[in-house]
Amino acid sequence: MKTKKNARHVRAFWLFITPCLLLFGIFFIIPLFLSVGFAFTDYDGWKTMNFIGLRNFKELLVDNKFYSALTRTFFYTLFSLPFKVIVPLLVAYLVTSKKVLGKGFARTLAFVPSLLSALVVGITINWMFSTEYGLVNFLLSVMGITPMEWALNSYLATFVISFASNWASTGFFMVIFIGGLNNIPKDVYEAAAIDGSRGVRTFLKITVPMLAPTTFLVTLLATVNLLKEFALVQGITQGGPGLKTTYIIQFIFDKGFSQMQYGYASATSLVAMIIFGFVAFVQFKVSKGGEQ
Amino acid sequence: MKKFFSALLLSSISAVLLLGMVSCSKETSGSTGPKELKVMLSEEPSTGDALSEALNRWAEATGNTVNIMVIPYDDQLTKFPLMAKNNDLPDVIATTRLSMLYPDEFLDLSEYFDRALFEQSAIDMINQIWDSDDIYALPQQFTITNVYYNADAFEKAGIAVPTVDNPWTLEDLAKNAKLLQEKGGVKYGMAMDASRARYDNLMYVNGGSLVEKNGAKFSVTVNSPENINTLAEFVEWNNEFMPKAIWAGGTNDNPADYFKNGNVGVYFSGSWNYNTFYTQIKDMNWGVMPSPVGPNGGSSILGGSGLAVPTNAENAELGIEFLKWFYSEDNFQEYLNTDKGLSSMVGITYSPEDPKVKEDYRVLQSEVPKLPNAFVVDESSMWRNYYDNEYRDALKQAVNGDITPKAALDGFALLLSKKSGWALEY
Repeated sequence: MKTKKNARHVRAFWLFITPCLLLFGIFFIIPLFLSVGFAFTDYDGWKTMNFIGLRNFKELLVDNKFYSALTRTFFYTLFSLPFKVIVPLLVAYLVTSKKVLGKGFARTLAFVPSLLSALVVGITINWMFSTEYGLVNFLLSVMGITPMEWALNSYLATFVISFASNWASTGFFMVIFIGGLNNIPKDVYEAAAIDGSRGVRTFLKITVPMLAPTTFLVTLLATVNLLKEFALVQGITQGGPGLKTTYIIQFIFDKGFSQMQYGYASATSLVAMIIFGFVAFVQFKVSKGGEQ
Repeated sequence: MKKFFSALLLSSISAVLLLGMVSCSKETSGSTGPKELKVMLSEEPSTGDALSEALNRWAEATGNTVNIMVIPYDDQLTKFPLMAKNNDLPDVIATTRLSMLYPDEFLDLSEYFDRALFEQSAIDMINQIWDSDDIYALPQQFTITNVYYNADAFEKAGIAVPTVDNPWTLEDLAKNAKLLQEKGGVKYGMAMDASRARYDNLMYVNGGSLVEKNGAKFSVTVNSPENINTLAEFVEWNNEFMPKAIWAGGTNDNPADYFKNGNVGVYFSGSWNYNTFYTQIKDMNWGVMPSPVGPNGGSSILGGSGLAVPTNAENAELGIEFLKWFYSEDNFQEYLNTDKGLSSMVGITYSPEDPKVKEDYRVLQSEVPKLPNAFVVDESSMWRNYYDNEYRDALKQAVNGDITPKAALDGFALLLSKKSGWALEY
């Protein structure tokens, strides 16, 4: 009887996970293996595909543009990561606080941008930060302030992309933090209140430590998202000014889809994947997966 | 009751299957009835678009239908191989590069059309097959890099418009662009599309070239002293009187909008913009002026879009049928009248009634014979098949001040030389 029940459970298990496994296999595992294979060829996306051994990797090792793109990617990630984690945490804390009115409306407002596609976000941000016809520069000039050259200064351009990325992701990470906040037992707060802890002190000494696993998850997801930022950059700066906002995925995309060097692009993405994997591994090790 | 529902379900399924079979057999055996022509365009046709109007007229005249799919030029490069692999190709493609990149995938149209029907420069430029008489794309929109001017700003700044007989030099251009910015009421003296063809116009005027032909081989000359000087001057222009972000590459703004809004005095673009400007600009007087000349004489960069028929298209014959209709005298004349563009067919010209358009058209036509030999050599090398974006990236970095003009062109020259196997001249 028990064996029959177990067999039914096993069957149900496979039935449930099969669609997901199929999609994961078709859209992730197979392309991953193909990409690894292409990395050792001069594949042009169609008819040419010769095995060239490690030539792509050798070229990559002396490609200054690759190193520049990778460095820029890490700079952008380091710059944006604190905002990606802290802003949603504060917003989540506010919209779960008993003292704040209209929490449902505030949550909706914060969440809506995360529903938009990167393309729409890019168009909206362009509309706001365009040097010539942008809303922000218009408001600055109305206030008598010299309009900013958002598209010409690499730091301003990076800021605009980071702002757009944060605006679009805050709602999503806020929801994760709300889940984490709701899981903190109320009696912990009650005990802290009895001991005289209030406001910021309670937030720093109780909320933040208790949210460590959630914060770890958000940090990991945000890091991965930032390292592979692409659509927003294409929509806002197209990698400029010069190549100052050309991050690693742009570099790969350009090599593959614009220059038809699929082999070289695959080799680059393989190297990038290993580096990103190492970053995630370090995050796990340093934070111990947020468990302590 | 249960039996009744079962019978109803069974008969419904049978009916659906039968209908499906009938419609399938219609599609496959419909050699006599109306057919569908699948056409791939590179942008959504605007109201009054000449090609889509021609397609509609053809559909009306023949009883066939037209199914337009829009895939932007850059995406065509990646989508076309996928479509070819999946045997899902359109019957006619409006393209600039596909037939040049993948000649084996297109029908040789010289079997159906006499080369002599077309203007020599138009068919050379759009077909881009330099080493044989095969024709894989027929010229549809024949364009030229040209210069638009804001007549109101010229008047305000007291600047006389250059004429075909008395064109500006590059020095005149720079001097007047500054003057337009100071006195013409425009924000920028000059703007240019972020297209290497616009920039190359300046390069040829100064006597530069991307490659040189030595016997049967090419050598790379993109980093010649003439070209480095041209780029250095261009960087200065961007710092002084051009909207730098367009060429530095930090914005998606279209400089055509700057011109249409009256913010630009002189605008380098393509003749394909003429019809749009004619239709859309209502609050400003504008016109077309001849390109500047330099030590090496004039320069004209030709280009445009061609119509090609993939060999493995489902209705390739229908595609040929459409092309024969399109390139008949009356139909092409009607297309040209709507397009207001340069003619790619011998003996067919656009004769505008509006005197302003007539004058502009005369200026545009006068540009065509100024084609420099260096441009033809560069095109025949097909250097873009090795690298394209890298060239623009090098120019972008120089304009943004990240690297010097010499470093930018030296870097690109080295890349091109390595990939093509052509020797470096400098």
